[in-house]
Amino acid sequence: MNTGQRTNGTDTRPPPWRDVRVLRITVQVAFLAGVAALLWLLANNLVQNMQAQGMRTDFGFLGQAAGFPLAGADFSSRDSIWAALVVGLRNTLVVSAWGIVLATVLGVFVGIARLSSNWLVRKCAAAYVEALRNIPLIVFLLFLYLAILQQLPRINDAIDGGGFVFSNRGLYAPWFDVDDDSGLFLGFCAVAIVLSIVVVRWRTRRFNATGQPHHRIVWGAVTFGVVVGVAWLALGQPVSVTLPVLDGRTVSGGYELTVEHGALLLGLVLYMAAFVAEIVRGSILAVPKGQAEAANALGLSGAQRYRHVVLPQALRIAIPPAGNEFINLAKNSALGIAIAFPELLRVTRIAIGQGQPAPQLIGIMMLMYLAISLTLSLIVNVLNRRLGLRGV
Amino acid sequence: MRRRTLLLPVLIPPILMLAACTGGDDGGADDPGLPDDDLVEDIDAGPADDDENATDETPTDGTLAQVRSRGVLNCGINGQVPGFGFVTPEGTYEGFDVEFCQVVAAAVLGDADAVEYIELTAEARLTALQAREIDVLIRNTTWTALRDGAENVSFATTTFYDGQGMMVRTDDGFSSIADMQDTVVCTLSGTTTELNLESAFSAHGVDYEPLTFEDNDTLREAFLTDRCDGWTSDKSQLAAFKAEWPTDEGGPDALVVLDETMSKEPLSPATLDGDVEWFDTVNWAVIATIQAWEFGIDSTNVDEFLAVDPEENPDVARFLGIDDFNPGLGLDADFAVDILQQVGNYQEIYERTVGPDTALGLEPELNNLWTEGGLLYAPPYR
Repeated sequence: MNTGQRTNGTDTRPPPWRDVRVLRITVQVAFLAGVAALLWLLANNLVQNMQAQGMRTDFGFLGQAAGFPLAGADFSSRDSIWAALVVGLRNTLVVSAWGIVLATVLGVFVGIARLSSNWLVRKCAAAYVEALRNIPLIVFLLFLYLAILQQLPRINDAIDGGGFVFSNRGLYAPWFDVDDDSGLFLGFCAVAIVLSIVVVRWRTRRFNATGQPHHRIVWGAVTFGVVVGVAWLALGQPVSVTLPVLDGRTVSGGYELTVEHGALLLGLVLYMAAFVAEIVRGSILAVPKGQAEAANALGLSGAQRYRHVVLPQALRIAIPPAGNEFINLAKNSALGIAIAFPELLRVTRIAIGQGQPAPQLIGIMMLMYLAISLTLSLIVNVLNRRLGLRGV
Repeated sequence: MRRRTLLLPVLIPPILMLAACTGGDDGGADDPGLPDDDLVEDIDAGPADDDENATDETPTDGTLAQVRSRGVLNCGINGQVPGFGFVTPEGTYEGFDVEFCQVVAAAVLGDADAVEYIELTAEARLTALQAREIDVLIRNTTWTALRDGAENVSFATTTFYDGQGMMVRTDDGFSSIADMQDTVVCTLSGTTTELNLESAFSAHGVDYEPLTFEDNDTLREAFLTDRCDGWTSDKSQLAAFKAEWPTDEGGPDALVVLDETMSKEPLSPATLDGDVEWFDTVNWAVIATIQAWEFGIDSTNVDEFLAVDPEENPDVARFLGIDDFNPGLGLDADFAVDILQQVGNYQEIYERTVGPDTALGLEPELNNLWTEGGLLYAPPYR
């Protein structure tokens, strides 16, 4: 252990109360113990006070029938409180996932537009970013919901045509009607995807080897279409398309995007895209200028320069900050409570309003949000490691 | 390490909130801006030995003594429902519930104006009571078993017998809930209405889509723009919103409240469990307004009644404290006089705020004396 020299029986190592290594560990252990004691104290106090007031401290209520309805077809009031929370979690996940995808796409376009050499495009993008970034999201959501989307045509004057129905209750679009025995068909769809990936890779290899045009998108799409089409015919057309039908004041069939869902999604996308755009702009500017100049020297066009040289390097820089924005977006989806969208917070509050215990429900909700954020964080970290420069 | 520090601020507020719930040392409402003090005190008291806990839970001075020493009644109300509890353009609170706050203040403090009104949302109201931010909750709150039991609330004599109704647009032609197949119904979160709504629609086998809002303002806007076909709430509240419907949308006649009553909604003042003295005080303050109506005493003639001969009319004399009868409710013998002089009897309050001559135009129906076919029945004051 001690590699120090021993001379004349004297130990060069100081006594424990002056040994910096011992002191460091002791202080950290003591600090941890203090934090743990404080948390235990708070938790104990909470449980004691709840019991003193006769409030329940267990989680048995989760299995009880909810008693309240939720918008959305697959939840009835006889399902459990837990099932209601899962519906809320699912709605939060759906709006967050679509929000992240769409905010990224829009953000990249706006970010590039901010660096455009065209004065008008550049200024429009800058105005968008500055306007959106500098108002509170909840104000923007209420504006979208009450001042814009609620003012769309009422259901009696709904716009109905081309397979779409459009009113201030929601947007209804054509959608797939799936039969019960369509599991096999979905299996074939998966096979089709795998096959088209294989074909695309083969075309890429061939292009790399021979220099012949690859046309890999066309090849992949044709492969997918042929396999799915044959399976669809062979299995007796298990999936058909339904169109929304407006009948008086109700719409049946098709896909329903309620105005609350739409307002929340649109608000999150427009708002977060402004932040993503700034990250994209900063990342592009952070790519050394020599890279773009070298691309120019090789004779690449503007689009090719972005596609093959600048954006791949900018992506690497953009991932960590963009990940933060994705997590923010998922957390901001809780603001859907203000516009009646039944996401996780809304459902939890409804349950609490019906007399279910608040501490447990809020605890569960916090854990769910934490799980969403940590999962996103994990994905971003993995991506960052995979795409980062090796050996730097 | 970064994540751990993220966690702490998230976890602490709810714990802190609950820790403050049973503070019980100073009512907690005096300094809502300083929850840290409460927390520190609770940590000291919480995990210590049982004796200290016991003294913590049974404070030597109850709510009644606290209100008296404070000189102000903290009354939880609704600030958004015309007729019941709302803010006037002059910035004062008015309404049926507000006047009952004044009744309690007059009975306890002898001054109907010594009230601090605290506006509460439907979801926060019981928590505010449990956290002792308010002394009494008079905010169109339905008396239910769950609230009486698990939520630790005691309900005093009902001030308003209400029922849940459904409001629809006259043009849509719905005449009952059975007609409302595949409609969208707007409701407010954190209320008993969601459960009744579900029962009423499933009883008729009618499918509907609920839309649950956080506050009445957004809900009203959504109903205004035809986002929902029906608006369900207590009939009194629906009448209040109907009365204020904008004229460019057709005014009050554009809306109709269906005849069906989906539920019993006895709206009652609520106090926290475990303080019987305070509960009695609030309860009898409310009862006194009904008793006064039964005796025919109101704010205009109470002074004449004060001159009655105790021999001739012993009931009235006891009620007005003329013969110093004190039933031990913790109130002054002449508390009813303070109520009547400063606020009035039940009938006056009703007709001033929600009655047929007001914008709400609610007929008394159940909210009438038992002798007139209503449900208001005061226990004898003796």
